[in-house]
Amino acid sequence: MQTVIKTEGLSKTYTNTAVPVHALRDVNLEFKQGEFTAIVGPSGSGKTTFLNVIGGLDKPTEGKVVIDDIDIATMKESKLFDFRMRHIGFVFQAYNLIPVLTAVENVSFIMLLQKRPKKEMEQRAKEMLEQVGLSDKLNTRPAQLSGGQQQRVAVARALASRPDFVLADEPTANLDTESAFNLLDIMARLNKEENITLIFSTHDQRVIDRAKRVITLVDGAVDKDEHFDRN
Amino acid sequence: MYTLIKISWRNIWRNRSRTLVITTALVLGIMGGIFSAAIRLAAEEQQFEDTIENLVSHIQIHHPEFIANPEAHYRIPDGKVVAEEISEQAGTAALSARLVMDGMAASANMNTGVRIKGIQKEAESQTTKLDQLLEEGTYFEEEWRLPSVIIGRQLAKDLMVETGSRIVLTFQDVDGEIVSSSFRVEALYTVTSRRFEERTVFVQADLLGELVGDTEAVTEIALLIEDADRYREVTDDLRSQYPDLEVRHWADMEPALYYSLEVLDQILIYLVGVIILGVSFGLLNTILMSILERVRELGILLSIGMKRLKVFSMVVMETTMIALIGGATGLTLSFIMIRILNQHGVNIPGGEGLEDFGFASVLYPDLPTSFYFEIGGVVILFAILASIYPAWKAIRLAPAEAVRAE
Ligand SMILES: Nc1ncnc2c1ncn2[C@@H]1O[C@H](COP(=O)(O)OP(=O)(O)OP(=O)(O)O)[C@@H](O)[C@H]1O
Ligand SMILES: [Mg+2]
Repeated sequence: MQTVIKTEGLSKTYTNTAVPVHALRDVNLEFKQGEFTAIVGPSGSGKTTFLNVIGGLDKPTEGKVVIDDIDIATMKESKLFDFRMRHIGFVFQAYNLIPVLTAVENVSFIMLLQKRPKKEMEQRAKEMLEQVGLSDKLNTRPAQLSGGQQQRVAVARALASRPDFVLADEPTANLDTESAFNLLDIMARLNKEENITLIFSTHDQRVIDRAKRVITLVDGAVDKDEHFDRN
Repeated sequence: MYTLIKISWRNIWRNRSRTLVITTALVLGIMGGIFSAAIRLAAEEQQFEDTIENLVSHIQIHHPEFIANPEAHYRIPDGKVVAEEISEQAGTAALSARLVMDGMAASANMNTGVRIKGIQKEAESQTTKLDQLLEEGTYFEEEWRLPSVIIGRQLAKDLMVETGSRIVLTFQDVDGEIVSSSFRVEALYTVTSRRFEERTVFVQADLLGELVGDTEAVTEIALLIEDADRYREVTDDLRSQYPDLEVRHWADMEPALYYSLEVLDQILIYLVGVIILGVSFGLLNTILMSILERVRELGILLSIGMKRLKVFSMVVMETTMIALIGGATGLTLSFIMIRILNQHGVNIPGGEGLEDFGFASVLYPDLPTSFYFEIGGVVILFAILASIYPAWKAIRLAPAEAVRAE
């Protein structure tokens, strides 16, 4: 299967602190098309840092992040904006959505930045909201949605523009168990149906079981990399 | 673009009360600025009409000695010819050649020093519009046995006379001999300057010329020019044309008035400057606060690929929208305010005391329509300037840091 992301000797050291923090140490990983991966590890182990670096939000101190044969670690800032918009979907822990836009407007937002035709955009946004079970909330603003519903809109937005892969940093951290399972089920289903590569971080044992691959970070280094056969 | 406008528009209403507060500040600032400017303009126009155009004229020409010794002896050589030449020059709007001298006015009860102005009826009504300043009586129309004199209302009070009363004017003829002659008061005029009313009397020049022994005598040429703002240039031209004569413009003759207008101008500029700065900083603060509250949200926008330029435009647009709402409301209310004040007049506190200096106590402000658009433009300009810092702050956010912000 095709490799979507490849990291080589990835290290990140924060030097703005009193003592330098080695948030990532020599991480070498490959993610293949259609994988559904959980990044786990204790707090401070470098999960967020890893996702930010492979998502082009942050620069590594050393090493490469190769996507589509391009090393985005050396990419210019202005190009990165475009690259992120075209190739990567993001879901954050909370406050993902633009509060002044409705659910359907939020889902269309990235496609709008990509200047997709209006018709296609609307259709795709509705389809995605249907996929995450929110077809009755098209014109609702985020403030009127529950935390779980907001996260589902965020997932719909991340996938709507058909990125190469989706990064989700603790997408379930603020959710109750039921909503958390519900969100993960939706992510698992979309991973299968749309054959989209999904990488999410969590330290929530409940949702780890949904992943087909689990990578454990300890002190910024890969401790375990396990594959499971699940459906 | 449409979505950007939509987002900006909705963003400014997220904190409704904050937006309303800053909009109100803008509205009040604009109204304050326009009010001061309108009062300033009205004062200036009133100054020009009442003091400069009605009393002094833009430029006056005399024999150099006449300023210190206002006597018939110090005539302008070939005065009528000079007056004729100047009145034919381009740029001269109106001209009055007068025979002016100091003298005494006496009634049965009192006497007082006055300046006697011998004028030509027609020329004077075109220059100082004396005919329109009459409070009672007629403008040199009576065919009495005694010649007519028109005096100020205040002088009439001082001398305790009224229209139809007889007064005696005493002055020197061209050879310095004392001449006394009786006149009948035909009319009373009124102007904003009490001092002028008290000290200036008008008679017909031909008659006065006969009394002083030179019917061709001219001691004062007063002129109005077409373009009042060019008074300095025109004065300089006349000076080089008539090097032997004393040519003075209104600012030379009425320095106190000139400086009071200048000072008023300065105060106004500072005042309007302070208002604009204050409101701009208020706006800057409002927008900056809204940016700091939205660090995470902006970080997410930057993360998912919204370009910095777009985020920058969004912030500028939010500020501009507030300025547009405040600006449009402020200008509309100002327009209505000025209309109302123009109908009813504005009482200047302590204005009666100011009348002695030629200030009217009631002003009728008015502004050209273009002025509102200029103010509107300045407001938008400053709003955009005020938005630059917050917008710059917003785009300097590092996405990775911003999304971590709690
Ligand atoms: N901007 C920063 N400046 C300095 N140190 C940082 C910064 N961001 C993260 N760190 C440090 O880097 C290390 C890894 O942080 P990171 O946020 O990636 O961990 P995490 O696994 O996501 O933790 P959590 O589960 O709490 O979210 C931590 O020690 C953290 O304190
Ligand atoms: Mg984290």
